[in-house]
Amino acid sequence: MNVMGIIFTNDASLGELTNKRTMASLPFGGRYRQVDFALSNLSDAGVRHVGIISRHNYHSLMNHIGDGEEWGLELEEGGLEFLTPYAQSATHTYRGKLESLANAMDFLEIGSDDELVVMTDSAILSNIDLTAVLNAHIASGKDVTVVTKAGICNGSKVIDLAVKTGKNGEVTDMLVDYAAPADYAASMDIFVLGKQFLIRSVKELIARDKFHMDRDLVLGGWQRGVVSVNAFPFEGVAMFNESIGEFYENSLALIKPDIRKDIFDGRHPIYTKVRFRVPTYYGEDSQIDGALIADGCMVEGNVKDSVLFRNVTVEKDAEVESCIIFNDAVIGEGAELKYAILDKDVTVTPGAKLIGTRNNPVIVKRGETV
Amino acid sequence: MYFQKKRVIAMLLAGGQGSRLKVLTEKTAKPAVPFGGKYRIIDFPLSNCVNSGIDTVGILTQYQPLELNEYIGNGQPWGLNKTHSCAQVLPPYERHDKKSGWYKGTANAIYQNIDFVDRFNPDYVVVLSGDHIYKMDYSAMVAYHEKSGASCTIAVRNVPLEEASRFGILNTNPDNTIYEFEEKPAKPKSTNASMGIYCFTWSVLREALLFDEDDPKSSNDFGKNIIPMLLAAGHKMMAYPFDGYWKDVGTIDSLWEANMELLGKNPEFQLRGGKNSTIYARNSALPSSYIDDKATVVDSFVAEGCEVYGSVKHSVISVGCTIGEGAQIEDAVIMPGVVVEAGAIVRHAILGENSKVCRNAVVGGAFKPKEKKKISVTSKGAVVEANAVLKPGDML
Repeated sequence: MNVMGIIFTNDASLGELTNKRTMASLPFGGRYRQVDFALSNLSDAGVRHVGIISRHNYHSLMNHIGDGEEWGLELEEGGLEFLTPYAQSATHTYRGKLESLANAMDFLEIGSDDELVVMTDSAILSNIDLTAVLNAHIASGKDVTVVTKAGICNGSKVIDLAVKTGKNGEVTDMLVDYAAPADYAASMDIFVLGKQFLIRSVKELIARDKFHMDRDLVLGGWQRGVVSVNAFPFEGVAMFNESIGEFYENSLALIKPDIRKDIFDGRHPIYTKVRFRVPTYYGEDSQIDGALIADGCMVEGNVKDSVLFRNVTVEKDAEVESCIIFNDAVIGEGAELKYAILDKDVTVTPGAKLIGTRNNPVIVKRGETV
Repeated sequence: MYFQKKRVIAMLLAGGQGSRLKVLTEKTAKPAVPFGGKYRIIDFPLSNCVNSGIDTVGILTQYQPLELNEYIGNGQPWGLNKTHSCAQVLPPYERHDKKSGWYKGTANAIYQNIDFVDRFNPDYVVVLSGDHIYKMDYSAMVAYHEKSGASCTIAVRNVPLEEASRFGILNTNPDNTIYEFEEKPAKPKSTNASMGIYCFTWSVLREALLFDEDDPKSSNDFGKNIIPMLLAAGHKMMAYPFDGYWKDVGTIDSLWEANMELLGKNPEFQLRGGKNSTIYARNSALPSSYIDDKATVVDSFVAEGCEVYGSVKHSVISVGCTIGEGAQIEDAVIMPGVVVEAGAIVRHAILGENSKVCRNAVVGGAFKPKEKKKISVTSKGAVVEANAVLKPGDML
């Protein structure tokens, strides 16, 4: 099976956390960037030719991914390509996935004609066996397979693409950008399609000034009867990190063993850029009550229900509860943090207090001192 | 093929069995024995090379090389996989003139790889061993060697007089020139112990190796043969004093001690690296560690990929370990991939890689500092059955 992968890095949608980075380079789970999940899933399925489509803010992403070595993508042929916007369109960013694909035609047209394309994004995280999705796509004989997750639609969360299926799993309805009811499954923004089909569709739709993947290619094509759609229901954990609230709750959910074991399934490891750090040291008076803690930390204080990234220092008598702390933070002696997200390199001075609420966690910007 | 000339290359002797580590080296060469939660012993000399600007390292392997070879791979974790750098594993091999076969001694191992060294046409060769834990800037030693104009410089450290008879002792003049070398002397004249770290001028060492190989009585060893030979021939030899942390981890006791010396707020040996003193290791793709609310972790290192539900005190927990609910770990070194099930007690022990201590089993006893050490040890993959007891000092 010849397969190429396309990863969309997604627009900034998490306010201050994504001011200077894409969703793809947003830190997640103690030692990862969100894009690590898509890259690892593709790599694990044997995909050796991956294009990364980014509109802007891609420098931190390029720095993280490098030549793709950690994911086995540093290859002479195929490998990893950054598909950044052309210089002349620097002021005009892509309006939709189809437009960005139209700009990446050279990439799509490389290689053999019989290839399949897996498209995935960087805001919805999972540890998914894409080989199974590819096989199901071939078996279905349909033009497009969309991976869906039940239990996400609730009538209030706006879903990019919601899919309703019948008794035999056949697609019976689809809704785009709508607060779909609970009997719909949410698209995980993972699609499988034939390469020639994709190229043809992109050209035709762009010629009609249609640029929206979900609305124009999938829903529109299906309604016009020119595109057949197969739904692949995913059973594992899928984390929709589409708002700060979701990002915060999903991060904290990693403390639960069943969720953690699903998304970090040891048979399909999630790979990330190696940043060499010593093991974490826990001091004489430290107290930990349910926490996910990366390497290189120094913990002398108390940490509860929190995720600590690499190289975080928690000094004596500091209290950290229900917090997400990105790398290199220093929490001073006796400081108290509750319901907070600390971006990289934050310093909390001794004795400082920072208390948010569960629904509205405090966010401290990169490099700031509290 | 073109090889860039190198001023210095390093040859790392990693072929020893390390039989004093007993069950821990039954299936693993000593340099590949895990240390400090996420490292292996060989990471220390290898990282020292990189941090000293030495980018070409020959690694001489012989005993149980599979794991070691796999670990070193292409040298990527240490940045030794670039166009003009390498970490080259050098196993014994067969040659047309029969002057080959197993490495007969440390000097013979280098002798058999003269061709490898010659490719780089080095001015100096640093000879290291793969069984010490320390951080050292070899470039300072090479500069000292070069400035003195010596043929050979040996790193030395001051040891207590009562321990000196366990080491190779170098007797020196006030200017640090060596006038005598005594291997494990009964009545030591000085306390300058050789650290097994040598810097040679390659042209001199090359000639000495050829000469030594022709001597059928020689055991082809640096300490026993090459150093005395060069001294007798009147070569200028220097002692290079080093006063940083240095530990031979060749025994169960010293391996346990060296791990314990990493602990505490101000440890005797600081793993944490400043600029140019990071110790690198091959990375395992494991998630962060989870510490449960029923767990207590005090004065301990916990590496990545662990799940801790029990109590951990004054211990080193390596990558990928699980410590079950109600389990108690104290004064212990837990190597990678170990599972300690609920209710088990492990004290004053070393648990080998991927070994397992089942429910309510008891390994070792309380550590009493004044007593003779009786460390309990499990070998790689060993299983202590549920409710079983592994007594202090016992090995499985």
